[in-house]
Amino acid sequence: MRQYETVFLISPNLEEEETTKIITQISGIISKEKGKLIQEDRWGKRRLAYPIKKFEEAFYVFFHYEGDSNIPFELERRFKQTEAILRFLTVKKETRENVRKKRKGIPAEEEIIAPQEEKFELKEEEEIAVPAKEEEIAVPQDEEKAEEKEEKAEEKEEKAEEKEEEEIAAPAQEEESAVSQGEEKVEKEEEDKEDLNSTETIKEDK
Amino acid sequence: MARDQRGDRGSFRKYFPPRRKVCRFCQRNLRDIDYKNVDILKRYILERGKISPRRMTGTCAFHQRKLSTAIKRARLLALLPYIEG
Repeated sequence: MRQYETVFLISPNLEEEETTKIITQISGIISKEKGKLIQEDRWGKRRLAYPIKKFEEAFYVFFHYEGDSNIPFELERRFKQTEAILRFLTVKKETRENVRKKRKGIPAEEEIIAPQEEKFELKEEEEIAVPAKEEEIAVPQDEEKAEEKEEKAEEKEEKAEEKEEEEIAAPAQEEESAVSQGEEKVEKEEEDKEDLNSTETIKEDK
Repeated sequence: MARDQRGDRGSFRKYFPPRRKVCRFCQRNLRDIDYKNVDILKRYILERGKISPRRMTGTCAFHQRKLSTAIKRARLLALLPYIEG
């Protein structure tokens, strides 16, 4: 006995009754072959990343089931016969938990990590630098600095002369921190270009 | 002007060395990457639809292998494009 996951796309031009009819047929096959349906998932109509048979969207259905290897075989035979099914994919499912144990691992952390849904949310919060942003951040840095300086200069004039010294010291620190933050973001992506940059600087020196 | 800026950044690099990239999946201690999680997979393809290389994302070898199969499965199901643009 093994766990499988089968996905198939039904063409969007069918009526609702027909799609449900196909889905019940498929689940019928699983139960007929003494398989155990663990989870059925319908995403409904979803836009395709590229057209399949000139359809721009399709009906996604996921079956997660347990059974012998003849079930996916039988299902795929049926899929090929049915014309309304655009694509299908069967994947063997791991029954083990989706946690990787390291040889020198930290056992405490592994327990905290929850199943798939949570990890999904967590991932979104994380900042992953996108290559497209890199240039946007990189170029205006100098301009921003110049602007900041101008603004601060104006502020200083307005305020009393006595406090001038303190204010000069404070904004200077801010500037530094702002620059370093920007730099960090940029450098995540820029490691690759490092070599190029260094060679160029050498040329300039000459 | 552009040249000057680049030179400037080069000197910055001495004081702010590039931060070490870490594998996002190792941080979460995951074994498998699901091909249905399109939002995550999308971060690992370039704008042309190519799988982004390890040297850019910092993914470890183990997870890069998992990731590439996940992306390829998602492509088959038209969740991700083979080519874009």
